[in-house]
Amino acid sequence: MSEKRREKGDRVGVLAYKPIAMGDRKLELRSSHIVLGFSAAAVFSCAILFSHYVSVESVFMLIAFNFLFVSLTFPLNGSLAAKVLLLSAGNIIGVLWVFLSSMFVHAVADYFGAAFNALYLILGPFVNLVWIVTFFSLSLTVLASAKNRDRD
Amino acid sequence: MIIEILEASFLVLTGLMIAYLVRHYIFTLAVLKDAGKKKEAAILENRVHVLSVSILIPAFNEEMVIGRLLQRMCELTYPADRLQILVVDDASTDGTGEIAEEFSRLHGQIEVLHRSEAEGRRGKASALNAGLNIVKGEIVLCFDADYYPQRDIVEQLSKVFEDPRVGAVQGRVTVLNEPENIVTRLVALERIGGYRIDQQARDRLRLIPQFGGTVGGFRTDLLKSLGGWDESMLAEDTDLTFRVYLSGYKIRYSNEAECYEEAVESWRAYWKQRYRWARGHMQCAFKHLFQVLKSENLRFRERVDALFLLNVYFMPVFVLFSWIISIPLFLLGPPPWLSLGWAAGIFSIYSFVGNFAPFFEVGIGAYLDGRTRAHWLVSLLVFAFLYNIPICTKALVDLFISKVAGRRSVLWDKTIHSGNGNSYIANQNKIPKRY
Repeated sequence: MSEKRREKGDRVGVLAYKPIAMGDRKLELRSSHIVLGFSAAAVFSCAILFSHYVSVESVFMLIAFNFLFVSLTFPLNGSLAAKVLLLSAGNIIGVLWVFLSSMFVHAVADYFGAAFNALYLILGPFVNLVWIVTFFSLSLTVLASAKNRDRD
Repeated sequence: MIIEILEASFLVLTGLMIAYLVRHYIFTLAVLKDAGKKKEAAILENRVHVLSVSILIPAFNEEMVIGRLLQRMCELTYPADRLQILVVDDASTDGTGEIAEEFSRLHGQIEVLHRSEAEGRRGKASALNAGLNIVKGEIVLCFDADYYPQRDIVEQLSKVFEDPRVGAVQGRVTVLNEPENIVTRLVALERIGGYRIDQQARDRLRLIPQFGGTVGGFRTDLLKSLGGWDESMLAEDTDLTFRVYLSGYKIRYSNEAECYEEAVESWRAYWKQRYRWARGHMQCAFKHLFQVLKSENLRFRERVDALFLLNVYFMPVFVLFSWIISIPLFLLGPPPWLSLGWAAGIFSIYSFVGNFAPFFEVGIGAYLDGRTRAHWLVSLLVFAFLYNIPICTKALVDLFISKVAGRRSVLWDKTIHSGNGNSYIANQNKIPKRY
């Protein structure tokens, strides 16, 4: 058994004796964070809505991202600055992603015709998943680390 | 005409998918809202009456894992005089029966029921029913042989029965052999989403927490009055969940009652296990759907949740179906609402909310568990999602064929447990070597 595995094994075994084996992170729900988060999301959404560089469908996507991201990560532990920074980074990555992917789709659709559009209809969600879920999991990791720093 | 039918089907399927995604979202928010609250401890001394509890352990060829569970059963903190542990040896051909007998000789609370070849090997439900006939406790709990509970699990599970409306309880399942490989790691993530968020939210919102077949139990009287486990069902646990609700009782989920399981370690074993769950769940949907909808014992919100719960394994099939019909719909002449821009708009919202929903549920569950490293694998769950599409589709097709052909639909396929999980237990040196 490798050292890493032994370490994990010990952790699970020791924890198995405790009433709450997997740990139970306590949240300090701060309504001010949530209110400010939604305000920031509204600002980002308006900026995207009135920009001429993002297509209609991408506007919907990014607005949905903003409000989902705020409702799920702003109640978590961590500083407001870190959360707003993550939200901003998410918007920048999102805009870049949809900009590049739409150029790619138009270029390929011109070459292959309507058949590619149909294919993209199915593949699109999976392509989007690459950045959305990855960014979300990265944000959780950052916020979890911030909490550990606060505790230390 | 064909295009109109395709359009309508497409819209209905998309609506269904979005409904499920909203449900994931509501569940996650409900658990987040609850995460700051203090948990109530399960202190036995505070109870007026300490319930007598029988623990059923059905086992067929489980010699690699049964020893560690029985060792754990001897370490439980619940008063031994209020505990009966009954191993149902389902005509095992390996050393399962002998191991159980050895524990029984050393510990008075452990009993063994040996089933002959003529009686046994008819599946888990049959073994449990055999055990149910001889249990003495007011509460009957069930554990699979590959499980490993925390020491005060009986206190945690039995505390919910102080409420007379509660007929059954379900505890939390976590994966013991998580570091083994990518399959066990993904199963662990699915478990986090399923228990830490889904089950807990359903309990918190007073919907329908599901009895999962193990790490849970019932009032013995209620279970006997319901006729025990239905041996004709592949998902006898889901079937019993709905029978409990239809009889007017509730099921509670206890997140504090944790138990480790040895997860499947290969994609092949994953396929077999999920196929059985999918087919059994679909069988339950056909059996209970209309009864649930017209039952007066269920509140409106419970009926809605039951509808979602019973149909959950149809969703991967619906996703596949919606993909298939979207292509001819697009190529044959897209309707005005399905021009590329708007179609992409609708799909983008769906893909955003859609792909995000189950993943954020798992992510938030891992966060609340303090599992920082587990977040990194959340994106890989997409492979499990894709893998479930052919599994559920095959389950539905096979169920349909068996109905049409009039064949018996119960084909019990036992999950093989390797015992690799033993190496993750800190007190493994206490488990006798031969086990």
